[in-house]
Amino acid sequence: MLFQWGMSRQKKRMDVKQEGPDHSGEASDVPQEPLSAELAVNIDIIRQKTGESNDVVIRRFALGQEWQIKAAIIFVDGLVDEKNVYEFVLTPLLQASFPLALEEKERFQWIEKKLAAVGGVKHISDWRKLFFELFSGATVMLIDGVPFAISASTKGGEYRSIEEPQTQIAVRGPREGFTESLRTNTAMIRRRIRNPNLWLETMQIGTVTQTDVAIMYIKGIANNEIIEEVKARLRRIDIDGVLESGYIEQLIEDQTFTTFPTTYHTERPDIVAANLLEGRVAVFVEGTPFVLVAPALFIQFFQAVEDYYARFDISTALRFLRVLIFFISLVAPAIYIAATTFHQEMIPTQLVIAIAAQREAVPFPGFVEALVMEVTFEILREAGVRLPRAVGQAVSIVGALVIGQAAVEAGFVSSAMVIVVSITAIASFATPSFAIAISARLIRFGLMFLAAMFGFYGIMMGILVMTIHLCSLRSFGVPYMSPLAPFIPTNMGDTLFRLPTWMFRERPRLINQKNIVRQSGDQKPEPPAPSRQEKGGGS
Amino acid sequence: MRRAITVIVSLAICAGLLSGCWSQKELTDLAFIVAIGLDKTEDGKYLVTFQVVNPGNVAGATQRGGGAAGVPVSIYTSTGDTLVEASRKASEKLSRLPYYAHTNLIVVGEEVAREGLSGVLDAMERGNQLRPTAHLVIARTYLAKDVLTVLTPIDKISANQIIKTIEFSSKNWGETVHVDIWGAIHCLATAGRNLVITGVTVEGDLKRGKRQENVQSSVPDARIKLEGLALFKNDRLVDWVDGPSSRGVLWLLDCIRQTNLTVSWKGKKEAINYQVVRAKTDVKAKVKDGRPVISVHIQAEGDVIETRVPIDLSDASMLFQLEKEIKKNLKQEVEEAIETAQRDKTDVFGFGEAVHRTDPRLWKKIESKWHDRYFPELDVTVTADMYIRRTGLRNKPYTPRG
Repeated sequence: MLFQWGMSRQKKRMDVKQEGPDHSGEASDVPQEPLSAELAVNIDIIRQKTGESNDVVIRRFALGQEWQIKAAIIFVDGLVDEKNVYEFVLTPLLQASFPLALEEKERFQWIEKKLAAVGGVKHISDWRKLFFELFSGATVMLIDGVPFAISASTKGGEYRSIEEPQTQIAVRGPREGFTESLRTNTAMIRRRIRNPNLWLETMQIGTVTQTDVAIMYIKGIANNEIIEEVKARLRRIDIDGVLESGYIEQLIEDQTFTTFPTTYHTERPDIVAANLLEGRVAVFVEGTPFVLVAPALFIQFFQAVEDYYARFDISTALRFLRVLIFFISLVAPAIYIAATTFHQEMIPTQLVIAIAAQREAVPFPGFVEALVMEVTFEILREAGVRLPRAVGQAVSIVGALVIGQAAVEAGFVSSAMVIVVSITAIASFATPSFAIAISARLIRFGLMFLAAMFGFYGIMMGILVMTIHLCSLRSFGVPYMSPLAPFIPTNMGDTLFRLPTWMFRERPRLINQKNIVRQSGDQKPEPPAPSRQEKGGGS
Repeated sequence: MRRAITVIVSLAICAGLLSGCWSQKELTDLAFIVAIGLDKTEDGKYLVTFQVVNPGNVAGATQRGGGAAGVPVSIYTSTGDTLVEASRKASEKLSRLPYYAHTNLIVVGEEVAREGLSGVLDAMERGNQLRPTAHLVIARTYLAKDVLTVLTPIDKISANQIIKTIEFSSKNWGETVHVDIWGAIHCLATAGRNLVITGVTVEGDLKRGKRQENVQSSVPDARIKLEGLALFKNDRLVDWVDGPSSRGVLWLLDCIRQTNLTVSWKGKKEAINYQVVRAKTDVKAKVKDGRPVISVHIQAEGDVIETRVPIDLSDASMLFQLEKEIKKNLKQEVEEAIETAQRDKTDVFGFGEAVHRTDPRLWKKIESKWHDRYFPELDVTVTADMYIRRTGLRNKPYTPRG
């Protein structure tokens, strides 16, 4: 049934495509007529259409006792497991005697039986499907005198192996991260949630790339409306290629003109599994280790996966720390600017004199000083991220010297400013989600401008506008700020606070509306009853 | 729609750019005035002294050059008929905008104080920069200007030195009191209480105190010192009290937190030292035969910290005797203070307020004549409870044997 859905989707889009302007680079190329009965003609067409690319391997051979039937197998080198091809496709065919008398349909069944060891044997009669199968890693077989092809699944080839995720590192928790292979990724979730209700639906997106995109959810827990919404948005996509889940993310998110992320992406299977259990929907994209999770809430970006593995008091404290960190990375330079150029009375006397002393030799106004330092820091960070690791270290040494020491000694900036920039930088690195740290980075500059023009008043206005904007955002129909706004008291246990695990009785309300109870309510662990203890004490 | 957005956005940008940076002031354009001194010139004008921080020479600026090479503060003076005029005129000499938000100390010259504070305090309370929590002291013997010119060794900015001295001295010794502008105005506006302000003076050679060498020597040529309490009547300074009786005043004001009392023992003077660690004073008023009577009860706890005579402190009866002796000592101190104030006809203790609370109607009648007629003849009974809580690590002191 699921497969059908994917198929019908594909057909539908093809219809649309033929009506609209052609941007696929494919529609006109692929012959519309069915496969020819003659092997030579078919091979010629394949060669011509693939531009004689030499990774498309065409291997001719002959079948039958007298070797009188010409045949060929075609596969793409690197996408298939060659051992499989030779061992399970070619060898059984060569060893068997091909009965000439068989009808077309029976020939197919005969071959299918011979190829039982491979599986995924399909009957192909049009070129479009042939090429799709070919480039998905199947081996296609053509036989002279038969106007259709047979494909067998021989997917293989090299993939990056499962490694520790590069982002969202946890001290405690599983060490495996997603890879570029969609199948490996979905398997990681299957391994965690062994339940037939874990449903997976696959489709191809990208008129040129034909990238596999899979959505995964737990039937009965995920909200049908959200599932339908995700599917509808994915169906709407009409793009030439999808190379990373970021393409999908930007095409299905609710609001483009916001700095805040309204879908969540992660490299960690445990995070995806936890989100599926809360009723969210995951979107896997072939070729990237980043899996999208929707809907995403603002508070989610402050919840590290380890919060659920560590004990509740520590997790709660850390969550408060993270909100503080976010706030610091947002406003620290703005507060410095406002306090030193407008509200000197708010700084303690000793401190204001110390700052004034440092600023004596600085030739720029506070705002320019702050802006220069922040921009310098952003340059350094960008350089450090993009450069090869070996060069990156050199950059960080130069950066430390330029930012930290030389600039202060030369009197370009005050050391107080350096402290502010460093604390902002560290804070923005400490935010658990990179997506939200980046948005804080952008807003910070806006707040700095406001602080330079209006002081604390400007900062307050900026934060107010930001809050209003946040409250207006939605992610797949779910208010972005929930359960803070709208306020849902029963879900507050897993927002800023992280209550003990046995108190998480319900799933988040707005994401999941029908199946809200997740565990029984009387699981508080307790020491054994006193009578037992007394017995034990006697021995 | 599009047009409306364009208009709104351009208006917002204009609003930002045209009004932007309103009241913006860079740190390097501000002169941080940490203390203000008030004196009178011979022709009756105000002589206002500003102590301005020289940020480059304060600790913390050591990151560049030789650090604190020059003097940390600079003194500017100007004259004017009013305070505001004088402070505006100071801009003739100051290269930066005077900034009063960090002014923590107001030194009032004795002469100005004797003529009346009320005209002075208004400008300080009204302005939005100067804080009403700024400390108030009276310059004694010397001019306020002289006090502010002395350089101080440990706290480089002398205003800070004075403020911190007041704070720690009032905590540990109890002969000085912290009065801020608000407190002073509160006292002036209250009929049943008059003002007490700590005095400050210069010890040593004033001329050499201005120079950098003053802080480069281990024994400075001039030091700033707190001395005595100025008693005010209404807004005028009338008298100074010093030593034990100034502490007596502060006992009555319930301002004592910790102090030392030295008592004589068996004929030997100043033999035993008692340290107060917790003290509380209750002032109650009663009306007796239509006349107000005040009873003061002082409660204190403390330790014996020094004995110079042989005494067995493990003996409880000895301790009772000692407590009695301390009580006597304290009562004497307090009564002296009351006598002085009664002689000066100024109720600095707030006895009038106590009467007001007890019998508001009677107070209405006697309010106008309180300080001059009723207070000097007021019956004040002082009772005290002094407890010895600890006697240190030794019960019997050693006796030197020749």
